[in-house]
Amino acid sequence: MRSVLIGAALFSLGGLSALFVKEKFKSILFILFAALAQVCILPGVIQVLLSGGYLEMQLSFSEPIGVSFVRLDPLAALFALIISLGSFLAAVYSHGYMKMYSGESAELSSYFFFLGLMSSSMLLVVLVQNALLFLIVWELMSLASFFLVNYEHKKEDVRKASIYYLVAMQIGAAFLLAAFGWSSALTGSLDFNSFQSVVSSTGAYSVFIFILFFLGFGTKAGFVPLHTWLPKAHPAAPTGVSALMSGVMIKTGIYGILRILLLTGTPDVRLAYGVLIISIITGIYGIANAIAQTDLKKLLAFSSIENIGIIGMGIGVGMLGLVYNNPLITSLGFLGALLHTVNHFIFKSVLFYGAGIVYSQTHTRNIEKLGGLNNSLPLTSMMVLMSSLAISGVPILNGFVSEFAIYIGIAKSFSIDSIAVNIAALMGLSGLALIGAMALLCFTRLYGICFLGTPRSHVHSPSEEKIYSLLLPMAFLVVPMILIGIVPMLAISLVTSTVGLFLPGASTIVWLEIVSLMTTVSTSLAVFVLFIVFFLAVRKFLLRNKSVQVFKTWDCGYQQESSRVQYTGSSFAQPILQLVAELVPQKIQVHKDQVLFPVHASFESHAQDVSERVFIQPAVRLLNKFLNKFSWIQSGRMQQYILYGLLFLVALLLWIWSGK
Amino acid sequence: MILKALLFLFAAFSPLLFIGFINKTKAWWAGRKGASVVQPYYDFTRLLRKGEVISKTTSFVFRCAPSVNIAAAFFALLFIPMPLIGSIVSFPGDVILFAYTLAAAKFLLVLAALDTGSSFEGMGASREVTFSTLIEMAFFIVLGTLALLTNQISFEAIFAMLTVSAGYSLLVKILLVASLFIMLLTEGSRVPVDDPATHLELTMIHEVMILDYSGPDLAFMVYAAAMKMMLIALLIANLCVPPYVSSITATVLFLGVLIVLSVAVGAVESFIARSRMSHVPQFIFLMTALSLTAFAVVAFFLRGGLS
Repeated sequence: MRSVLIGAALFSLGGLSALFVKEKFKSILFILFAALAQVCILPGVIQVLLSGGYLEMQLSFSEPIGVSFVRLDPLAALFALIISLGSFLAAVYSHGYMKMYSGESAELSSYFFFLGLMSSSMLLVVLVQNALLFLIVWELMSLASFFLVNYEHKKEDVRKASIYYLVAMQIGAAFLLAAFGWSSALTGSLDFNSFQSVVSSTGAYSVFIFILFFLGFGTKAGFVPLHTWLPKAHPAAPTGVSALMSGVMIKTGIYGILRILLLTGTPDVRLAYGVLIISIITGIYGIANAIAQTDLKKLLAFSSIENIGIIGMGIGVGMLGLVYNNPLITSLGFLGALLHTVNHFIFKSVLFYGAGIVYSQTHTRNIEKLGGLNNSLPLTSMMVLMSSLAISGVPILNGFVSEFAIYIGIAKSFSIDSIAVNIAALMGLSGLALIGAMALLCFTRLYGICFLGTPRSHVHSPSEEKIYSLLLPMAFLVVPMILIGIVPMLAISLVTSTVGLFLPGASTIVWLEIVSLMTTVSTSLAVFVLFIVFFLAVRKFLLRNKSVQVFKTWDCGYQQESSRVQYTGSSFAQPILQLVAELVPQKIQVHKDQVLFPVHASFESHAQDVSERVFIQPAVRLLNKFLNKFSWIQSGRMQQYILYGLLFLVALLLWIWSGK
Repeated sequence: MILKALLFLFAAFSPLLFIGFINKTKAWWAGRKGASVVQPYYDFTRLLRKGEVISKTTSFVFRCAPSVNIAAAFFALLFIPMPLIGSIVSFPGDVILFAYTLAAAKFLLVLAALDTGSSFEGMGASREVTFSTLIEMAFFIVLGTLALLTNQISFEAIFAMLTVSAGYSLLVKILLVASLFIMLLTEGSRVPVDDPATHLELTMIHEVMILDYSGPDLAFMVYAAAMKMMLIALLIANLCVPPYVSSITATVLFLGVLIVLSVAVGAVESFIARSRMSHVPQFIFLMTALSLTAFAVVAFFLRGGLS
């Protein structure tokens, strides 16, 4: 346990020592510390994950925290694994990526300092067991990431986005403060384990407290309608940070929800339905908006929301399994949720890293301007293709495995003799299918428009791809992406003990059933691979001494070739966006010359985040209206402030006098 | 054993026959003699013997897509139960792998279309993914209905259990057959969704996506598309043929259902015009509505209403 804590501290130390060295060495020093941290953290984490035990250490603080534990149980270990690896990869990636900002020594210092602080605090978030300590490190994580999002603080939209992010995080933290405060008021303790009595379904206010926790953690994770910060903060941050935030940090929200669920035991049935339905909405809303985006990173941010929805569906299914005391459904649900957490970390990090390479090479994130990058960035293209396939749940890559587990969990709940569960299951089944199909649309669009075809405009043409610090983190993640896809048992054995935490009592038989099922799936996937190889070979054989000419694309007799006639991302998405126009309203501006022979015309369309308009803005307006009632306190008149001082002194005197 | 292998081979090589029957039906309704039902095989083998012309903008994606498509089509066939042989591969949840295998093929098909950089192919790709999004959801409602009805989640077990259910199951079966028939027309790119015989690229969906293919690649694509139709037709046949009849009767009934289906597709094509592109989603929503109704019927009778 001590070594894990040391590892957590090493990230911050690395950031701190990077302050004092020359600009060139900052990143290298930080990577060194981050690598050392892996050596300290990973052995403990792997040991806990495989053995199912836990490591803990007692720490003594002064009041009000007092004696408290840090504990690495399988749930914490699983998240610590992705936090630790994700932070390391982000450090490596930053080495290459931050070269874009060379010359800004002070900014780079703060970048690595806060990157280290963020990594350390994320690790501590999953380790501490005391409510007050938790809130402190939670805030630390939010603040550190705020400064990272605000890296390009000279741009106005970045400043706006980061302030928005900070406010959203504070609102989430306020929910958590209320939830923890309420729980500790009821129990008189700050220790997580003592909260068991208030959040378990026998507790009088358990439903409300759970909802507060869900709102607080859900803001971090990005459940609709609390997600609005994601599509603003992710594009603003430097790419290494966006990848870390999307792949890792939002998962701390999932961690929080799971941690509370561990204390809850059998949840209230209404909560199970609630989580499931919110998650379905989150998934569909996220992917529908992702389809509408033209900014590469904004698209990926919305897709993160979608994936949080899928993870949430797994959690919801697991909760339903707990309610109906069905260990198979429970384990499939939580297995799916945890696997998808790991999987999403893998493919979303690769996608963000890829987007970063595209941005650093072409200086644009607008997919309508890109195209044909496959030729200039072949390695990036290949890896982005792999992760696009994985994130759409295509078999033989890891995304399919976790979605499959959730599907089976949902499908198994058709056997529960309750019409409400059956209807919920149908919503889950068709919802997940819709999300999957829309993800296919979204990522064929992303990959097809950016990397295939020919360049759509004269953007800065990519010069050199082989920046190893950018490519290596991607390649490092592509390996498990394929491995987990074909041999799911590799990942399943990592999460076995974590899933076990959620199951009351032993359930070896259930687990054996899942293992045998996954082995069968794995074998049939191998057959699929064989089929593909076979037909590729047949194709090669058939063409062995035939002529294969290379000619231009069939243009239906139209001779004026232009890369601008290619389908754009917006036109590709138009039919589906028309169908979901209520969910993703488009703001369309058309300018036409009102003359006989118009020369200039322009058309612009922007997708709007409808939930921001429906939920967030009215709430903000209401709050402003209420707070404005107090504006007279801050009148700006000196006399009034002197009066306040005077009143305060009089009150103080009265208080002292009454005390005597 | 040999009989089973032969039967499977027949199923694996029959998709083009299905197309042949459709074309024959269309010719017959139009008062023509029409090509022989095995004409698609001649076309197929001729394509296999040809060389290729490949667009210069394309990448490896374009070259891999046909092979993956035909591999996925054959792989998906392994899950479909057939009389005498059952499913070659069967496990709980194979229905999901079935759907996702076809989705994998579609992913590459769409990318291949975008790879050419042609606006027509982009157009086709865009329509294809939009419609298949809607189809996918409806198909999973069908699967959910079957799972609720039979308590099973593998094709073989589902169709083996279809006998035990009560009288209302006839109604459910009719609804499900109707919705799968809509899926057959949509996924098979037939009228009223798409017209395989159209001559204008602007109005095509599937055909326009494979405009740039030639030779063996085109053959693979054509075969994969035919096989996809065959897969859905086989699912319908499984719904129609009761599990308690003897294998021989079942085989005959299967062939009968397949022929009826191909005639039905041809008849639809002869009598109905292709819908306007903007009306196609409504047609697909009909499938959603039918399958939801089927689900409601099952839920009502099996669970005794809302209690």
